[in-house]
Amino acid sequence: MLTVALAEVKAHARRFVAVGIAVMVAVGFLTATLMVNASSEASLANTVGAGFRNADLVIAPGPDEPLEPAAAESAAAASAATGGVAQTYLQRQAYIAFGAAGTAGFGVLQNLSKDTALNPAELLRGSWPAAGEVAVDEATAKRLQLAEGATLRLAPAGGSVAAESLAAGRDLTVSGIIEPSNDPLTMGQPQFLAPDAILDGLSPAESPAAVLNIQLGLADGADAGTVRDAVGAAVSAAGLRGATVNTAAEHTKERVAGLTGGSDPITPVLLAFALVAIFVCGLVVANTFSVLVAQRTRDLALLRCIGADRKQIRRSVLVEALLVGTLSSVAGVVVAMALMAGLVGWLRQQPDTAFAALAIPPFAVPLGAGAGILMTVLAALAPARAATAVAPLAALRPFEEARAGNRKGRARLWIGLVLTAAGAVVLGLGAARASLLVALPGGLLSFIGLLMCASVFVPPLVSAAGAPARAFGVPGRLAAVNAVRNPGRTSATATALLIGVTLVAMMMTGAQTARTAFDSELATQYPVDVSIAGPAMDGTALDARDAAAAAEYDGVAAAGLVTPAGFAEVDGMRTGVYRLLPEQKRLLQDQTLVLDDESVLMAEGSGVATLTVTGSRGEKELTVVETGSMAFPPLVSAAVADEVGAPAAGSPDALPQLWLAVDRDLDAAALMQLRADLAAGLGVEEYQLSGAAIERAAFNQVIDVLLLVVTGLLAVAVLIALVGVANTLSLSVLERTRESALLRALGLTRRQLRGMLALEAVLVAGVAALIGIALGVLYGWLGAQSALGAFATVAPDVPWLQLGSVLAVAVIAGLLASVLPARRAARLSPVEGLATA
Amino acid sequence: MTTRTEQSSPLPVPSEGHAAPAAATDALCKTYGSGDTRVQALKEVTVAFESGKFTAIMGPSGSGKSTLMHCLAGLDSADSGSIRVGGTDITALGDAQLTRLRRERVGFVFQAFNLVPTLTAEQNITLPIALGGGKVDTEWLDYIVASLGLAERLKHRPHELSGGQQQRVAVARALLTRPDVVFGDEPTGNLDSRSGAEVLALLRRSSQEMGQSIIMVTHDPVAASYADRVVLMNDGRLVGDLASPDTDSVLSALAGLGA
Repeated sequence: MLTVALAEVKAHARRFVAVGIAVMVAVGFLTATLMVNASSEASLANTVGAGFRNADLVIAPGPDEPLEPAAAESAAAASAATGGVAQTYLQRQAYIAFGAAGTAGFGVLQNLSKDTALNPAELLRGSWPAAGEVAVDEATAKRLQLAEGATLRLAPAGGSVAAESLAAGRDLTVSGIIEPSNDPLTMGQPQFLAPDAILDGLSPAESPAAVLNIQLGLADGADAGTVRDAVGAAVSAAGLRGATVNTAAEHTKERVAGLTGGSDPITPVLLAFALVAIFVCGLVVANTFSVLVAQRTRDLALLRCIGADRKQIRRSVLVEALLVGTLSSVAGVVVAMALMAGLVGWLRQQPDTAFAALAIPPFAVPLGAGAGILMTVLAALAPARAATAVAPLAALRPFEEARAGNRKGRARLWIGLVLTAAGAVVLGLGAARASLLVALPGGLLSFIGLLMCASVFVPPLVSAAGAPARAFGVPGRLAAVNAVRNPGRTSATATALLIGVTLVAMMMTGAQTARTAFDSELATQYPVDVSIAGPAMDGTALDARDAAAAAEYDGVAAAGLVTPAGFAEVDGMRTGVYRLLPEQKRLLQDQTLVLDDESVLMAEGSGVATLTVTGSRGEKELTVVETGSMAFPPLVSAAVADEVGAPAAGSPDALPQLWLAVDRDLDAAALMQLRADLAAGLGVEEYQLSGAAIERAAFNQVIDVLLLVVTGLLAVAVLIALVGVANTLSLSVLERTRESALLRALGLTRRQLRGMLALEAVLVAGVAALIGIALGVLYGWLGAQSALGAFATVAPDVPWLQLGSVLAVAVIAGLLASVLPARRAARLSPVEGLATA
Repeated sequence: MTTRTEQSSPLPVPSEGHAAPAAATDALCKTYGSGDTRVQALKEVTVAFESGKFTAIMGPSGSGKSTLMHCLAGLDSADSGSIRVGGTDITALGDAQLTRLRRERVGFVFQAFNLVPTLTAEQNITLPIALGGGKVDTEWLDYIVASLGLAERLKHRPHELSGGQQQRVAVARALLTRPDVVFGDEPTGNLDSRSGAEVLALLRRSSQEMGQSIIMVTHDPVAASYADRVVLMNDGRLVGDLASPDTDSVLSALAGLGA
């Protein structure tokens, strides 16, 4: 039977191409996911290990136990005396201020190793620094335009960039340019390397240079393990406690684990998406194999006639699956490796990520390929069983149409119904209680249940959607009928697409709903769109001129300076009370607030009935009106402010605030730009601008990026499902060759035939997308309610535009999927078609 | 079924002599459908097919000739009565045993779709033995291939062969296992008259020279005239039996059925 299976795959390679592509994509996704973690750790190791990359052994301080300089010195000496140790390097560093060519800043100064071999950086140009010299990293040299021979002034550690601090330092000559370190602790900062004497000279007794580690180079032929043990003993004897002696590789591993906290948040998430892709792929494979088995009914029956038993038939189908699965899984793994290698190669070209490294964990290849093969064979189990059900007599029915067995598994339907109902209840409960942990399994269960029942509701819906197609005449009518000719096949094809679309629609709706919920929540959290708290960086308070300038910016609807009206005791703290002019009321988020001359507006939960406001002339007791915002400064009307008398300008605990209302239609990017422009224009730091609009923009940016990433990941599953649509259609076309030829002989034009098949594909893809969108909206809303219901009012908000584009993509992809099969069907002449029995 | 009456190795057919019939039925009944669509295809058919002879079963459409052959070949089950193939009662055998019977003791030549399209002619011929995991008797294979004139065509796929060549490959496959009986279901129905005559002459030679028992269903009097004996059926019953038939005697016998 192996011969039969091999011959089958070889002869009908084209029929397996689509399924092969689907498996390849899914396996590639999975394998790439498995490589992401290893590669990011390897990349991290590249950066973490940068500082001691030339060392063989590293003596590092234990956690929370810095190396004491004196103890480290003696430990280094003891290590140097140990047999097998050729070089030692006591790595130290200090943060120091520097000045050069009119600019000043802070950087990291490290000492040079006495043995050049252990130097923590690579010398690009010039020479290692000698007395009175310093080496500068290339990025800094470029930025400060420092070449060899230039002069650089370094201030003593603990100093500042102020002129008097720099004056206490010393001038050094740049002797060479080193490669910038990728160590995450020093990366991006100016890096200097100088002999020990200079570092000592710049490190006053009150802020000594920190000892990072002691690096050791081994003598030729020395055994790392033996030397490590000897050094460990020597170090303990020298009185260095808590320190560890490791090989450079081990030390890197420890530091990486310390930095990542030993966990990796990305891989599980990616893995979940990869599993969705694998599952969808399994559906496509199962569907393809059932179609192939249905088409081969006659061959299978012939085999049964001449003596193949059921086991042999089943094995033959499974061997085919094994072959296809193995070939495409191996291809998938290779593609994944090539992709990752390409990605890492590209990253290495980028200046900020030159440390990227490709790592292929040994388990990724067998695991990725194994999962693909297993999935393919498992998916072929049911079709293989269907193949054994072919009666030998089928070979003797000369012209009967091959038809897949369409037994509706009653048990499956019932289980599906029960799962749907139970899942729906749990999901509803989760949504009502705003508990995502309850809702998640509920949603999962109900979705699985719905998928199991897909054969109940998908064909009737496709049929109903096909009704308008009758307007296209005979081709339309035929397309509508053909689309549900084999309900099982239609359901399986649609289900594969449904999964991806549901998940995408769910994410879109969930994101949109969460966005709206947060918007309304933020509206009450902050008093205004944007508030700028003074003072400016130059120490001056914001004034009316700033308000006028701010109002001129594009996107700013209104601006007003809110000035202090006095002080009040709030929770035992002297708090500034502000005056709201009548024309400034429109700046408030909550337009329903009313401020009269007897009341004070206060933050939510202030817990007092009255507040006494003290001004420069007197005080007044006011009725407290609580607002919905937690960050609302006490506000009084202009008349009250006049009555109590405004405090003198420049009081440090009551600086005027600049309040802005921004245009409603500003998107996140524009708002972030406006924030940066305003900060620069008004001379304030960006963090001084806060408010609902800013929070909204920041939050929306996060949501948008997440949505983009998630949609991109799910797109893999959708792509696989669309391959499935094309595959089912092309197999159906093969099966209906005679019928198509008959229609052509009876006068159907090529165009009409192509149109008929296109319509069929659009019907299946479109209905699958519509069901998916409807389900996704429901799940997205309930999911958002479950996740956010506890702290925000969640109302469903449907992103019609995005969902519309999902539908459009599905329909267009369905059309595209029909192009090749339709061309093939139309190319056949009526006579040829009828001759193919 | 723990006891198995069938023999594990193929029998040398000619040595069986004329003692047992190649295939036989006793009071065989078969009904299809139920209610209004109920059709009694076979009504107590008792017939024996001699070993080493070429027998044709004839009759109009719906006479039950195909059903009789399906039952004899173990492709269909009987409602009552018994079926014997080469001395084995196959009436109550299960699927696995019937499969073995078909693989080892029965050969088939169908009207069309005889061959697995993805395999070469040679692979098709040896398929039943490959399925059983046995060894091909190469001498016998060479003899059959040579006498059927297929030596040049062994590496070809079915679609590269003419209709007559395809049927000859099917005959070779049926003969290779030295089965108790070869069944032909309108083996020349899809062929032009020259190719048809070639295949029929081959079948007759196989019977005469190799002592192969052959049972062929046909509605073509010319085809039936190649047989040693013609069994006539109508309405689920045996209605006639001709020895050493020719085209004219078959035609007149068939004409008698219409009356």
